[in-house]
Amino acid sequence: MHFYESSIITTKDGLYCQSYANEHPINAILVKPKYIPTDIIHSDAFQYRFISGKRMNRLNLWADRKKLTSYIKAFKEQYPEYVFHSDMHQGRRLFFQVPLDRIERIYFPKTGLTDMMKMPPGQMDPHLKTCHEFVGFLLNSGLELKDLGITYSTLMGHYSSKKSDINIVVYGKENYWKLMEFLKQAQHQKLRWKTEEEWLDYHKRRNRFKVFSEKDFLFLKQRIRSEGFFDDTLFVIFAVEKEDEIRSKWGSEKFVDQGIAKIRATVADNHDSTVRPGRYKVKEYKVLEGGKTGGKAVDDLTGVVFYSRDYSMLAEPGELIEARGILEKVEPKKGKPYHRLVVGYFDSYTNDRHEYIKVIL
Amino acid sequence: MHFHESVLIDTVDGFHCKTYSNHHPEGKIIVKPKYIPSDIIKGEGLKRRFIFSRCMTRLNLFAKKEKVNDNINQLRKRFPDYFLDTGSTWFFVIPKDKIMKVHDPRQGLKELLEVPRKDLDNYLLAVVDLIELLTKSGVKKQDLGITHSTLMGNYTPGISDIDMIIFGKENGWKILDFLKTATHPKLKWKTRGEWIRYYQEHRTAESGHFTEEEYADHMLKKFYEGTFDGNVFTLFTVEEPDEMWNDFDAESYEPQGTAEVEGTVTDDHDSIVRPACYKIEGNVIGKDIKVKQVVTYSLPFMHQARKGDRIKACGLLEKVTPKDGDQYHRLTIGYFDAYTTDRREKEYLKVT
Repeated sequence: MHFYESSIITTKDGLYCQSYANEHPINAILVKPKYIPTDIIHSDAFQYRFISGKRMNRLNLWADRKKLTSYIKAFKEQYPEYVFHSDMHQGRRLFFQVPLDRIERIYFPKTGLTDMMKMPPGQMDPHLKTCHEFVGFLLNSGLELKDLGITYSTLMGHYSSKKSDINIVVYGKENYWKLMEFLKQAQHQKLRWKTEEEWLDYHKRRNRFKVFSEKDFLFLKQRIRSEGFFDDTLFVIFAVEKEDEIRSKWGSEKFVDQGIAKIRATVADNHDSTVRPGRYKVKEYKVLEGGKTGGKAVDDLTGVVFYSRDYSMLAEPGELIEARGILEKVEPKKGKPYHRLVVGYFDSYTNDRHEYIKVIL
Repeated sequence: MHFHESVLIDTVDGFHCKTYSNHHPEGKIIVKPKYIPSDIIKGEGLKRRFIFSRCMTRLNLFAKKEKVNDNINQLRKRFPDYFLDTGSTWFFVIPKDKIMKVHDPRQGLKELLEVPRKDLDNYLLAVVDLIELLTKSGVKKQDLGITHSTLMGNYTPGISDIDMIIFGKENGWKILDFLKTATHPKLKWKTRGEWIRYYQEHRTAESGHFTEEEYADHMLKKFYEGTFDGNVFTLFTVEEPDEMWNDFDAESYEPQGTAEVEGTVTDDHDSIVRPACYKIEGNVIGKDIKVKQVVTYSLPFMHQARKGDRIKACGLLEKVTPKDGDQYHRLTIGYFDAYTTDRREKEYLKVT
């Protein structure tokens, strides 16, 4: 079932979730719980937020691993209906879901933005004015308002001017690439990109980027145009897949765990790297670790799939990447089996699989 | 039927409402719609806000009267279930089956107080510190709540008010008395000069009945609105079920037209809740009609006079017929229909 990623769903149990894929099982929506009420379970490993009259924990997958693991264990016990058992993965991978009958309200980024743009500019607060002007600027790319959405705190209305980010959703991969091309050249007096200093500070504060040297990190991030500042407000632009762009329907393939593997491969295509889950099609790869089935080295690896947006558009076609993750044998209902490497399933955050993707420059 | 006043309710039709009384007819809740989806009413001349992913129109009863009438008529035509005609007047109501979500002020505050200080922004820190101050009055935290944007989390630091609820009239009086003399480095009250400036800048239909000095005199005696750490705060006292001074279904009211009343307040205990009631010994000016109560739904006239004060007021004169007991007259200020008629400019309550 298709359901756009990056939509916000509040549930009857008080959870705030973000849809975490564009393709979903029939009876549930795959999500990442963003804010979880603290009346049943809570953890000091996470930040507390006061949202809509409730004390909530903000689930941070990069929190202390031991505490995260114990929290996820408690979550599974207390909210069993929010854990999805995927037969396609033989139950070995962790997925979160919102069962359809637990949905309280869905906040759609597209309708939210359309409504926001109807606001008389004179009645907007500074944050909304910035969003309004930024969206107006993005429309110079040739995209239409129906191709864009707004999400997270701006959509939910609990943003804080000059503090909260602007999170823009672009509907369709083609549209997203078109927008990225536009942003490579576009100029606006209120638009600026992160400085070296800002990127290095970001690099320093996030352990997960330690796989990159500062120099490589700067090179890779400074060529991406999905994140910058508009009127001094940080903006991040995401892509979501349209239904006709979905690579495979939920249930049409089985994924058999082949253990941890580390590979180096040349990127053949990064077109799908903008969405969640993202994918780099690869060619000419070399298995550095694991990657054997029946004692033989895998010879049909087609791509590297990832769930974290940190890896979106990181590598360009022809570049060499190194990746560590779960090697899966993909068994389609129709067609030939093949292999893929997956980085960033939820369960990867609670163990020491040390998964990553990096570009070898 | 009892239901606390100043509680936020979302309806299945997307309205954001606030309860507007502590007394309600059976099966319905009297409310004031705060925000209505902009695709439902044209809302010409009204402010819009982007709240919870929707463009909403803020219903302002002080907008131009023709516009208020037009907006109300649009609503009434499309959503007749949200209106209750009593014969004497009409109320906005939410039928119980239209309630989607009730935002609990008490539970909200309880949850807020459990958030570690390091995770609070300056606005929420001010809320927590103000609560701390208010409990020095002897009122327990459990008897306090938060509402409006403070509760919903869509406040703008430095701009949004801190809106608090005090549960129970005894507690309300205790806090208002405490605040007369309380000191705190973050607590400030407007001075006479500031109230006069406020009067000059915010002249409304109500304040038009007062000179600058009279307005300041009244406001300086009230302690339900001040600033704390630079944020305006407002305290709303709500009645507990065993404190209700009136029961919606226990009396009927027959309108007698607009009237001006004068008298002496004999009891102001119920003057800090909505609707507020001043028991008086008084009569309609120039007529031999005794009036026992002045009732107001309008916040500016709550906590306006004290026991023993001589007052004058203008509003709708009503003949009250209790199910048990004798008929009497009361004057009511601030019914919704007043905002759509000439009464809006005529209504007031002042100490003479």
